Amino acid sequence: MKPILLKNQFNPEAYKVESYVAGGGYESLKKAFTMKPDDIIQLVKDSGLRGRGGAGFPTGLKWSFIPKDPTMQKYLACNADEGEPGTFKDRGIINNDPHLLIEGMTIASFAFGASVSYIYIRGEFVFGARRLEAAIAEAYEKGFLGENIMGSGFSHDMYVHCGAGAYICGEETALIDSLEGRRGTPRIKPPFPAIEGLNSKPTVINNVETLSTVPSIIKNGAKWFAGIGPEKCPGPKIYGVSGHVQKPGLYELPMGTPIREIIFNHAGGIKGGTFKAAIPGGITAPMLVEKDLDTRMDFDSLAAKQSMLGSGGVIVMNNSTCMVKVALITNRFFSHESCGKCTPCREGTTWITQILKRMEDGEGRPGDTAEIERLCGMIFGRTFCPLGDGATMAIRGNLAHFRDEFIYHEEHGRCKV
Amino acid sequence: MAKLTINGKFIEVKDGTLILEAAKQAGIEIPTFCYQADLSRIGACRICLVEIAGQRKLMTSCTTPVMEGMEVNSESAAVQESRKGVIEFFLSNHSLDCPVCDKAGECELQDMVYKHGPRKGSFKEKKIRFHEKDYPLSPVIIKNSNRCVKCTRCIRVCRDTVGVGVLGSMGRGAHQEETSFLRTYLDCDHCGNCIEVCPVGCFMRRPYRYKSRPWDLKSADTICPYCATGCTSKIQERDGEVVRSISKMGKGVNNELLCARGRFGFDFISNEDRLTTPLMRKDGELVPVSWDEALESLAVNLGAFAPERIGGIASARLTNEDLFLFQDLMRSAFKTNNIDSSARWNRDSVSAFIKATGINEGGVSLRGALEGVDAIFIVGTQISEENPVTDYLLRRSFDSRWVFTMIASARAMKLDSCAQLTMRHDPATENALLTAIAKVIFDDAGEKAAGLDCAELFKDLSLKDLSDESGVDQSDIGAAARKLFGSESATFFAGTEFLRFPDGLRGFSLLKELLTALGKKITVVPVLDRCNQRGAWDMGVHPAFGPGYEPVENPGLGNAGMLEAADARQLDALYIAGVDILNNYPDFETAEKALSKLQYLVVNELFLTGTAAMADLVLPVASFAEKAGTMTNQEGRVQSMSPLMKPPGEARTAHDIFSALLKAHDFEFNVAKPKGTFEKIQANVKSYADVELLNERSDKSLTGESGNTVSSSILEKEADEEDQTPAYTAEDLPLTLITGNHLFYSGMLSSRSATLGSLLKEAIVEINDTDAKKYDLKSGDHVTVTGRYHEGRYAVRVKNGSRKGVAFIPENFKTGPVNRFFRKGEWSQKVRLKKVDA
Amino acid sequence: MLTEEAKKAIKEVMKRYKTKRAAVMPALTIAQDDVREVTAEDMLEIAEMLEIQPVIVNEVAKFYTMYNVQRKVGKYHIEVCHNISCNLLQAERIIAHIENRLNIKVGGTTTDGKFTLSTAECLGSCGTAPMMQINDTYYEDLTETKVNDILATLKSRD
Ligand SMILES: Cc1cc2nc3c(=O)[nH]c(=O)nc-3n(C[C@H](O)[C@H](O)[C@H](O)COP(=O)(O)O)c2cc1C
Ligand code: SF4
Ligand code: FES
Repeated sequence: MKPILLKNQFNPEAYKVESYVAGGGYESLKKAFTMKPDDIIQLVKDSGLRGRGGAGFPTGLKWSFIPKDPTMQKYLACNADEGEPGTFKDRGIINNDPHLLIEGMTIASFAFGASVSYIYIRGEFVFGARRLEAAIAEAYEKGFLGENIMGSGFSHDMYVHCGAGAYICGEETALIDSLEGRRGTPRIKPPFPAIEGLNSKPTVINNVETLSTVPSIIKNGAKWFAGIGPEKCPGPKIYGVSGHVQKPGLYELPMGTPIREIIFNHAGGIKGGTFKAAIPGGITAPMLVEKDLDTRMDFDSLAAKQSMLGSGGVIVMNNSTCMVKVALITNRFFSHESCGKCTPCREGTTWITQILKRMEDGEGRPGDTAEIERLCGMIFGRTFCPLGDGATMAIRGNLAHFRDEFIYHEEHGRCKV
Repeated sequence: MAKLTINGKFIEVKDGTLILEAAKQAGIEIPTFCYQADLSRIGACRICLVEIAGQRKLMTSCTTPVMEGMEVNSESAAVQESRKGVIEFFLSNHSLDCPVCDKAGECELQDMVYKHGPRKGSFKEKKIRFHEKDYPLSPVIIKNSNRCVKCTRCIRVCRDTVGVGVLGSMGRGAHQEETSFLRTYLDCDHCGNCIEVCPVGCFMRRPYRYKSRPWDLKSADTICPYCATGCTSKIQERDGEVVRSISKMGKGVNNELLCARGRFGFDFISNEDRLTTPLMRKDGELVPVSWDEALESLAVNLGAFAPERIGGIASARLTNEDLFLFQDLMRSAFKTNNIDSSARWNRDSVSAFIKATGINEGGVSLRGALEGVDAIFIVGTQISEENPVTDYLLRRSFDSRWVFTMIASARAMKLDSCAQLTMRHDPATENALLTAIAKVIFDDAGEKAAGLDCAELFKDLSLKDLSDESGVDQSDIGAAARKLFGSESATFFAGTEFLRFPDGLRGFSLLKELLTALGKKITVVPVLDRCNQRGAWDMGVHPAFGPGYEPVENPGLGNAGMLEAADARQLDALYIAGVDILNNYPDFETAEKALSKLQYLVVNELFLTGTAAMADLVLPVASFAEKAGTMTNQEGRVQSMSPLMKPPGEARTAHDIFSALLKAHDFEFNVAKPKGTFEKIQANVKSYADVELLNERSDKSLTGESGNTVSSSILEKEADEEDQTPAYTAEDLPLTLITGNHLFYSGMLSSRSATLGSLLKEAIVEINDTDAKKYDLKSGDHVTVTGRYHEGRYAVRVKNGSRKGVAFIPENFKTGPVNRFFRKGEWSQKVRLKKVDA
Repeated sequence: MLTEEAKKAIKEVMKRYKTKRAAVMPALTIAQDDVREVTAEDMLEIAEMLEIQPVIVNEVAKFYTMYNVQRKVGKYHIEVCHNISCNLLQAERIIAHIENRLNIKVGGTTTDGKFTLSTAECLGSCGTAPMMQINDTYYEDLTETKVNDILATLKSRD
């Protein structure tokens, strides 16, 4: 498959508007302005595009929830918080092809009538944020943003908002709180952001990759898009592969490419040993082991394996990896990032991390593993937002395959591997 | 309505009801932590999760509304297990130091563990500790974060209800601590509502610290003795000392809310300066005497004067029963109509105020007045400081429902932040402002208004002149007018500024009359600053009317009249029940001169006030905590209070004293208990006839509709008496001094509260930011305030957004009483400020 | 204390949002830019500029880990990612190595105030693990030699 989203990854000039335009950039925007906004939404619906931020929600459908009232202020917020460990795909687009995102965002905003959009980029991406700001300035200059864009009558302003180190702000309602200048904690839904989002106005939140996919759909049509990969979740997808592989990096492949192919063909196979396990979609996603390697990397196939596609960040582990340590690292992360709003997540992740730390430090006690399992049960399904659930999914996915390593730690105070 | 079942029980509730509330209606209790009715819903703590048939996950009953046909289970195995889990999580990082915690015994977490388990937690890791020692956050608040369950009720009540928003969640996850800016000392309302809403021992009262266990306390339901919002509370004592005043959700107008005065200002009761025995002047000295001697001498001495040479002034903090007997005593025993309540309001201002606000026509419910109304206009009241809990209740109602709100006042106030339009007018220009608004409405209404009775009045009015006089822009006046004109209903909050500057009532009545004539539904909520001011008037403690506002044949003198008469040696004897005239009357010198000329002065008091010290007879009385009775709040809500303890020493209730005197006068007279007096009141005052005394949150005790039928009587403006003492010109005295209550000070009682005293240590003068700049002053600087008649030293407080050219000194400072600046009952004076070294 | 430039920058950034309050995050970033610390005065001044309670600024500043509230960090703030992908590729060795080289522990600052060493959660650079961030710059595909070079360059700078 010819890369769509990553086609400019290795073109060091592509971030400049001239170069982007020379490669056919902003043609899709031009084309979009010849269409009726509702037709754009329909086109995206027909394409079958599902959100790349993790939940896989149909993008066209999300846009269609926005009230049609033209007098009402509406917003688009691009989720560029990319915080899920093992994920680095959005950064690739932002750093190397910022105009692709800007074009996608402008088309989306035109489709559902947002006059202002924000790119919520994680604070650590200073380089990316500067790139985006420069690109936005260029786009204004060239008339791709601002008043009456390309004579379409559509006006649109775009701003970059930098986060400052909080994974939870990737959750869409927390992102809105953060954009409003608050602590980024999730809000009660309903009301959903499409009805009451930023500044209490209808707001769409879409991932960078999702929005960057939009220009190609406009250009090539829904049929073309739907023809790539599985029927229920088609399209090109960026997989980021990291960990114990020979060639870590981003690979844009048809949705539904088997994980074996991704790890062994594209990423060059295992580094420093043999395959032990892989996390398919950012650390929240439950692990896959050898026997699962033929699983296709798409929302539905992974869900059928009790895992998830999530962000598509594949983390590969070889046989030297201590799974208690992996559990500790993931849980330490969730405990560190728990916003503190709800009790089970706040207390539970911290508690589990404390136990794992002890186990890792050789002070495990009999019953620790069972206690962790009990605590997972006390968290799962009871938290305010999916972060708490995610924490338990990660550890349960680990325990499902490697419980014996945990018990070994309890008994011997050290690793089995 | 929606039909559903909870635990198999069928119930029908209003659409939109939360599952939690529906369950409550069905008699099923679901435990909660972060939920509190009237606070924003966050669904964070997860203790209230329930099972709903067809839902994959357990749902928070505190945020999920009912749906038709819903099947809810709040006791299923999954729910119980989840609940236990959440409690175990709460305890995991909780310090579990119940033995040394003030909250033990009334702690929601303790209760919850007791009820729902688990009895044993398995947490064996290291607990997160925020600090080793508890740290004070204010003179009245002390904090222990190690006990916090992160329900954020403290933050929400502080932000959304109290409106100061000085608390926040610092950090995140398990390291999150709810505290102040960098844990520094708070500069806030010190209302302690954070303490009240805290389910555990995280926010605590400093004055109550380690004083008692809740089960060792004796309690009584009472009514706060400060402003007329009429908050109910429970005061509690241990070993004869009142240690706490608490409020509870679901009780009274105020629910769980109180202000600093209501929550901490009760300690004057235990002040050791309380009077404990009657004192009689013998050889120029006040010496202790027996009650028999005291009462006999009183009856004999007062009886010796001709009725027109006797007068009585009673405090608007006495109970209805006390006040009813007092006026009965003055009228039937001493045959005089020289009766007044408080020493601050002029007789005619009171009459006009009552008429303009419709107080004589029955009660008006605060909640009712806010429900469904299109516009709210707050004018003539310094509500945020004089009636703090009314401010809280308003803000809370605005939080749940947007209403267009306008505020007109010379001083900025906290409630401004809830208003869509604020108008800063010059002191005492309410008349100009309100007339100007009426004028715009009249002009806009065109045809519709042309035929009205009042049309004449508008003919010669110039909007520009009125706008100039008030200092409010014509555009703001226009905006206010248009909003009122465009509304079908409006509620006015009208307060004590109209009593200080009754001229404003002309404009107020005019505006109200015009709006009413234009078909608007107008409701007026009077906002009063003494707990039973309305009761005092209802009871007829007024020279011109008796109980139930029945006009009297020969109206007597009001407080100003009595003082003037005394000064002219036309009045010989005064019976003052609980008013420190020397401190309250807006002209200290006249008051002192007048009192010194009296032949006989009797004072009922808690303390030997300046006024009491001048008396011939001082009778020690019981405080609000030591007696039974009823009080009527500003809405007209009659509420009862019961005694917590016995008065100190030989002090007696005012009711006992008045009864005894009446009995001495009339052998038929036989009431001994306030309850009997209340029945008499019910027989005499129509609006009290069917009052049910409920201290629950109920509007039942409010009788009539609000006054929307006021006649068009407009006060004649009295001629301005120019009293320029030539020593000063306008340039010399550039600022206009006004007064009112301070958030922590309201009347004589507050000045005897050590706790309130700790919140504001010195007398202050408040100016706005522009003037502060102009005179090179900042908060904390010291100045002398010089007026025509007085000079005093004050600490400066700068308040952003107040009207420029205005200086404000609160009433009732022991050092620096503001009334010395005033003359002849006029509540404003020109002054200047001069910086002095600290 | 906010510099005049910082104040100007904050005023500029306020234009991006509908409410003043929304500018609190960029304002804190601006405040921190020069001195790598958010002080109590900074927060008070921001509160005044945005017309919000200081406690709100405090809340926001303490929620997000990138604000060093009342915490002075070195001129070069080294944050080594210790999350999963980096960890699999020996981030811990990199951390230990830096500790040795600078003679400080994680959380510490060198005596000359030049370097502070911290660990960070995933910085979104997993494909080039192990990695670290020093101030605004990412350093990827780290090896011990590479770290030596980086530290040497920074040491030689002012
Ligand atoms: C804890 C948590 C963290 C998340 N982080 C991100 C993120 O970093 N980037 C992102 O695009 N979506 C993230 N999401 C998903 C978003 O909430 C949201 O579903 C997504 O941005 C929607 O965009 P899409 O429809 O284009 O996928 C996160 C969700 C949760 C619950
Ligand atoms: S699960 Fe709860 S504490 Fe955790 S991030 Fe979500 S809301 Fe915050
Ligand atoms: S009471 Fe419902 S979540 Fe806290």
